Amino acid sequence: MATTAEHFQAHADDHGHDHDHKPAFFARWFMSTNHKDIGTMYLIFAIFAGIIGGAFSGMMRIELAQPGIQYLDTFARWFGAVNPDFNSTLHVWNVLITAHGLIMVFFMVMPAIIGGFGNWFVPLMIGAPDMAFPRMNNISFWLTVAGFCSLLLSAFVPGGTGLGAGTGWTVYAPLSTSGSPGPAVDFGIFSLHLAGAGSIMGAINFITTIFNMRAPGMTMHKMPLFVWSVLVTAFLLLLSLPVLAAAITMLLTDRNFGTTFFDPSGGGDPVLYQHLFWFFGHPEVYIMILPGFGIISQIVSTFSKKPVFGYLGMAYAMVAIGVVGFIVWAHHMYATGMSVNTKMYFTAATMVIAVPTGIKIFSWIATMWGGSVEFKSPMIWALGFIFLFTVGGVTGVVLANGGVDDVLHDTYYVVAHFHYVLSLGAVTALFAGFYYWFPKMSGRMHSEFLAHVHFWIFFIGVNMIFFPMHFLGLQGMPRRYPDYAEAYAHWNQVATIGYMVMAASLVVWFVNIIYAFAAGKKAAGNYWGEGATTLEWTLSSPPPFHQFETLPVIEEAAHH
Amino acid sequence: MAGTKHHDYHILPPDIVPLATTIGAFTFTSGMVLFMHGMPGGHFVPWLGMALLLAAMFTWFSKIVNEAHAGDHTPVVQLHQRYGMILFIASEVMFFVGWFWAFFDFSLFPSTIAETVGGQWPPKAIEAVMDPFALPLLNTLILLCSGTTVTWAHHSLIHGDRDGLKKGLWATILLGLLFTSIQGYEYLHAPFGFGGNTYGSAFYMATGFHGFHVIVGTIMLIVCLVRTYRGDFTPRQHFGFEASAWYWHFVDVVWLFLFVAVYIWGGWGYPTH
Amino acid sequence: MIFGKTASAASQSVKALGLSLASVLAAAATPALAQAAAASEPAAGSYVPMKPTPGVGMPVPDGIGLQQQYSKLGEYGAWIHDIVLMPIITAICVLVLALLVWIAIRYNRRANPVASKTSHNTLIEVVWTLVPVLILIGIAVPSIDLIAKQYKPAPKGALTVKITGNQWFWTYGYPDNGDFEVISNMLNLPGQPTINNGVREVGSKPWDGPSHLEVDNRMVVPAGEPIRLQITAADVIHSFAVPSLWFKLDAVPGRINEKVLMIEKPGVYYGQCSELCGAKHGYMPIAVEALPRDKYDAWVLTHAGGVVDGQAKPAAAAQVVPAETVPAAGASEAPAAEATAEAE
Ligand code: HEA
Ligand code: HEA
Ligand code: CUA
Ligand SMILES: [Cu+2]
Repeated sequence: MATTAEHFQAHADDHGHDHDHKPAFFARWFMSTNHKDIGTMYLIFAIFAGIIGGAFSGMMRIELAQPGIQYLDTFARWFGAVNPDFNSTLHVWNVLITAHGLIMVFFMVMPAIIGGFGNWFVPLMIGAPDMAFPRMNNISFWLTVAGFCSLLLSAFVPGGTGLGAGTGWTVYAPLSTSGSPGPAVDFGIFSLHLAGAGSIMGAINFITTIFNMRAPGMTMHKMPLFVWSVLVTAFLLLLSLPVLAAAITMLLTDRNFGTTFFDPSGGGDPVLYQHLFWFFGHPEVYIMILPGFGIISQIVSTFSKKPVFGYLGMAYAMVAIGVVGFIVWAHHMYATGMSVNTKMYFTAATMVIAVPTGIKIFSWIATMWGGSVEFKSPMIWALGFIFLFTVGGVTGVVLANGGVDDVLHDTYYVVAHFHYVLSLGAVTALFAGFYYWFPKMSGRMHSEFLAHVHFWIFFIGVNMIFFPMHFLGLQGMPRRYPDYAEAYAHWNQVATIGYMVMAASLVVWFVNIIYAFAAGKKAAGNYWGEGATTLEWTLSSPPPFHQFETLPVIEEAAHH
Repeated sequence: MAGTKHHDYHILPPDIVPLATTIGAFTFTSGMVLFMHGMPGGHFVPWLGMALLLAAMFTWFSKIVNEAHAGDHTPVVQLHQRYGMILFIASEVMFFVGWFWAFFDFSLFPSTIAETVGGQWPPKAIEAVMDPFALPLLNTLILLCSGTTVTWAHHSLIHGDRDGLKKGLWATILLGLLFTSIQGYEYLHAPFGFGGNTYGSAFYMATGFHGFHVIVGTIMLIVCLVRTYRGDFTPRQHFGFEASAWYWHFVDVVWLFLFVAVYIWGGWGYPTH
Repeated sequence: MIFGKTASAASQSVKALGLSLASVLAAAATPALAQAAAASEPAAGSYVPMKPTPGVGMPVPDGIGLQQQYSKLGEYGAWIHDIVLMPIITAICVLVLALLVWIAIRYNRRANPVASKTSHNTLIEVVWTLVPVLILIGIAVPSIDLIAKQYKPAPKGALTVKITGNQWFWTYGYPDNGDFEVISNMLNLPGQPTINNGVREVGSKPWDGPSHLEVDNRMVVPAGEPIRLQITAADVIHSFAVPSLWFKLDAVPGRINEKVLMIEKPGVYYGQCSELCGAKHGYMPIAVEALPRDKYDAWVLTHAGGVVDGQAKPAAAAQVVPAETVPAAGASEAPAAEATAEAE
């Protein structure tokens, strides 16, 4: 059977940098049609957005450090409120969590993992000179930036009780319609329209590229798993985002043009919004994690010096996750008052997803089993991912039980669950990918020592933030609260201290980047050695501005 | 650009149009916020954004046409375009799924609490609906007809019959315009309004977005017609035409669903007007 | 804009309905009664709010597990969580961690310099597909059973309580007891900005429960019998949730969600609004006070219009307590709900 590129005998041409007639600064960065440059811009943008989203979560954690309202008033003034009254002070909380959720999901994870790593490495891994639609690639990026600007604008205009959109990232009606007069929520809605349009175009681009631009001999079943993961992700984007677009368009017309989609006085149904949102929202969570799965597969195989175990099972497990991901959405709505059969169906369907996900976890472990494992920085992050994602995944299975979710829904248990799969899962995969490919992209080696320090401090920090949230949730602490009963004080304090630990790790990360650019060794073409077998390692670091001007040929594997 | 390429893919030079298009889109959405909240600039900024957006898109598509003439669209690049268009239409299908979802939610489970609805479909507040077998049926026939005329045009094109191509396109465009006019007439004379209840909301947003797609499709066909007169399209390479035709068929199919679900089933047995 | 007006008009009128009812019945009468009763010895037929037991029906400091359950379904749910789910998910995490650690020890570069080339083993792939399937079936059986039990409809004649979520307080209607209504606001916290003008501070009465959770007027229900809760909302979505009773159901405007609640024994059980509903989402707690049937009836009768067993009994004697013995009541408490609407 075919495996990942262990068998690739690439005939790549790498004429060095002689042909690199890079455009001048403005043309290169504002008019780019180059997948690597666009990928770089996505990554820089995502890091910037991640810092803002992370700063917002810092503001949230400091407020939650103890019961009572301590800092929201100050924050309200930062956002430009003059003498905010108590309600608009509290509203700041809702603005913070909304912006934090939206920024992390739409402007940090998605741009980094799909726009950034997808753009950089899908063409490289399949032996293509660029993406199928280079110009459309560029507008995908700029629309993401425009969406981000629209979201930031919303924070400075009235949103109902105070400045900014305070609806939660789920934008449930009628809180987001009649409950939030003022332009803030409209800016928020348009933010999603813009970013969504960009993502749909990105999805079209990836699917076309992967189907049509594989190098000669690179059959579907020889594609690296990261490419598979982006392919499945792109289909999820393509089919789920338009439904979100319709849903938020209904919000817009309900708000401004008198329709009553979600307004009960006109016969509308607020729960309809939730169906439409989660029909998008659940695939969205797999959109955020599948490329991470792909990254982890590459890394695990590279540092075990073994081909991925059960390649086909790995690829089709992702396809299965994608397909089943479309029919489980209402597990976010167990408390809305659904019928008994509906609740049973969604309970059963949701649990099914644990099976293909388990296949992935165990196949990673089997890949390492018998390997000659080197614990380089990407690998240590990948190991962290496998464990932390498992922890987040199994609490998802707890939540999947409709009858049990009745007590856990909208508590910190859910917050703990999704941060384990996101902030400890997706973000850990991002850092794994970052350390794996940073020298490839920049041409400079980072410090392995600092990368390990970064990992261990981050690992301790995020577990300190989010593990106690399981306790809070089981004890009943509701989410989206700026203030809470005394009994919850202790674990909240621990979480806030954990945040500071985590923040220290990010400082180490920045230092490492600066170190790499200032004093890092020049990176060789394949700096990870024999285990790294995919096509990007046949190129120089960084690769030439236009790679594969003669297409590489993938030869039939020597053995099966 | 770079040195010698030994492949058939289309590597593009840097281009400002994507950024310009984005600025147009962002200006438009922000202007719409101003407009919807009666803020200063609300009557000006959206138009500015729209103009910028359209200008940028015009430039963009013109470039694509020019690149086609320059021979950049090798067979594999044309294959890209086919995939791109099919995937775009797939995403459009999912967009309409959203509107149909709302429609079926309202019609199958009409609210018993809202007085305007009163647990029935069409809602109490709706005194009469459109007679599906009057103008809507005519419109259905018009669109179906236009589906055949566009195929006529396509066959003519493939067989090198430029005259048939022009005629087929003219017919399709005129039928499209006729459809839009009739739809506009119906809107103006509809026995129910836009806001205030689920019927108006679901009806106008679903048929309205369809109408918008008809207009976009008509514009695409007009562009094809202009290009035909300018001598574009060969029997072997005419993706611009094909894309427009696919889009037109998609719009046609959506209408059939709208007609059967919203007009016929959704108003069955109700007084018409 | 057009929409905004219609909507706000609609929600205003719904609210106005609730408010007028409530301010006539509950706000004017209940607090006065309750406080009067507290001031003097509780006479037969009068009502004193129950003193909550620390750790019962509320979170416990530093707690790490589910709250103690006080309903049959809650006990079943907690059993599924504690006995079925927790051991399974812990075992899975420990297994994954153990395998990773073993790899680090056994298959690191020094211990195993030459990597094997194994990339397939059909048997083990089938095993790690089938074993999770079996585990999940094992989970699904009690889980589905719990859902089925949760949906058992209330017996005929069960007491109905109508719950309405409002920005940002709850109202409780008692259609079977003369259709009076209770407005429930969170108590203010000492040293914090005033949440509800005119509502007293937590701890100012001997029976006040924990901070952030105690209210001025609780939702009182009889213990030991099934109660039909009908839940809706007047403005945006709220969610009625009481962790120690395994109960959570959204209050959705335009919908009436119904579910049965049965509380095993008398006590005060606290919960909080569990759906984001705007600025004071965190400040609309729920306090359910379960009383023996006779005490419940007595509580009903403290309300103007309160009816027990279909008979309107004359309002309790306490109601005629002269106004001056009710310290700072009426005037300061009645506007609670209106004050919320006005905001600070
Ligand atoms: C990357 C994002 C991501 C991922 C991957 C997941 C994965 C899963 N999620 Fe999660 N989820 C979110 C992000 C994510 N989720 C977010 C953001 C929310 C909240 C949204 C909001 O309300 O704001 C949420 C909320 C959420 C809810 C709603 C809770 C509520 O609001 O009440 C539910 C309920 O079913 C759920 C279930 C699951 C399940 C079953 C999985 C499964 O896919 C997990 C599968 C993985 C494993 C099970 C571990 C590995 C498997 C094995 C080792 C095999 C053996 C295992 C078994 C036999 C059990 N999630
Ligand atoms: C990807 C998603 C993501 C991520 C990473 C995070 C990260 C964090 N979140 Fe997140 N959070 C959400 C998504 C995310 N969150 C969502 C969807 C909600 C629900 C909102 C709602 O209720 O509507 C939420 C809600 C939420 C709450 C609950 C608020 C409430 O209910 O009242 C809290 C409370 O502590 C919290 C805290 C944190 C903290 C401390 C982090 C820290 O881990 C943050 C530290 C920062 C990082 C770890 C990111 C660093 C990354 C980069 C700088 C980019 C790296 C890029 C490359 C390597 C290329 N979050
Ligand atoms: Cu009411 Cu949250
Ligand atoms: Cu989900």
